[in-house]
Amino acid sequence: MGSITAHFQSESPLHPAARAFLADAFDRGWADPTKIHEDSRQAAHLQNEAKEIFAARLGLKNDQVEFLADPAIGFHLGISGLITTDSTLFHAATDRSEVFAVAEGLSAKRLATSITGAIHYPKGGSDDVLAWQSANGETGIITAHPDEFIGRIFVDATASGDLIALPERWNTALWNSRSWQGPAGLGVFAVKDRSAWRNPLPHVDAARLNTGYSLPLAMASAIALEAFAREYQERQFALTAMNAQIREFLINEFNDVDIAGSLDSTLPHLLSFSFLYIDAQMLVSELDRRGFSIDSGSACNSSNMEPSHVLAAMGLLTHGNVRLNLHPQITEDDVASFLIALKEVVTELRA
Amino acid sequence: MELDCRGMRCPIPIIKLAQAIKVHPEVILMSDDPATEPDLVAWSRMTGHQFNKLSESTYLVQKK
Repeated sequence: MGSITAHFQSESPLHPAARAFLADAFDRGWADPTKIHEDSRQAAHLQNEAKEIFAARLGLKNDQVEFLADPAIGFHLGISGLITTDSTLFHAATDRSEVFAVAEGLSAKRLATSITGAIHYPKGGSDDVLAWQSANGETGIITAHPDEFIGRIFVDATASGDLIALPERWNTALWNSRSWQGPAGLGVFAVKDRSAWRNPLPHVDAARLNTGYSLPLAMASAIALEAFAREYQERQFALTAMNAQIREFLINEFNDVDIAGSLDSTLPHLLSFSFLYIDAQMLVSELDRRGFSIDSGSACNSSNMEPSHVLAAMGLLTHGNVRLNLHPQITEDDVASFLIALKEVVTELRA
Repeated sequence: MELDCRGMRCPIPIIKLAQAIKVHPEVILMSDDPATEPDLVAWSRMTGHQFNKLSESTYLVQKK
């Protein structure tokens, strides 16, 4: 072992197509697209091209696409921008911590998430706001559409990218370029109808965003999205087969392993499972020593020593946790070698 | 029996609890680790043992 490095972490490598483009984009794309010089016209052309790609892939109109240098600010823009004085914010216990941070200052209700990932959405009122996560980035569990909710909906698509379509009714939505192997430092934000949204940041025009972003990164991200979508489609069958193989191996080869969701309820490239009586920190470092990098939601592996709030909210085991991200570049051989190493390490640690 | 795991980090309290419950029908577990409570929920579901929270960091665990 050790000759290969299989990288199963969520920090996916930048897509080669995006990397190849970036150097060129930095040369071409620096001018301010709103000015009237030739360079600016070129930049404006690039900006439109990027917006067209995102609009087509994410199910938006070109003029709904906005870029953010910091994807995290999109949670505030998307949620707070829909809140009125009469609003209650509904959000799930398995939402991202950025949602909890936004909810802090608002009248908010946290909805329970079941062990299968099911969330019971209220009907709500027309002024109420729901933060709806299309898929969970830790467990990969796909969330049912909140059809019964009658208020305004913020869609957190930061984990699902273009893999899950927007629900029929939505008001604001956020994506993270990282989810399709695009460059970090770029969020895609959309407002469906500007009349129902108010910019919660200091602003001159309440219906417009005035946050800066890097145009070369936006274009590189659009290229990454196109390439990722194509590869994911080509690899989807293989990814699903690998996910099924890992699940089967876990059930057959180990006692006391807690797997999040089922093959049918999750995105095929994401998988989370926990081993009872195993210290995740030792598991992570032993696998790392053998050439496999993985993520873990266990407390001992987090910076604040708190267990994953997602696992805890669902009643899933928080210690001995392993999170895998099967990037389209991961092969069947990588998975086979990983499973051998996993068996060795868990057996050693439980001995 | 009483099992004092205060100051210990996950998964030690659950490992010690699993050893203790083999030989005792009831264990009072004291643990202030933030992962203990969610892990008791999962551990009970996986093993069939029962637990009740007595106070902030004290749990009564009963063998199935």
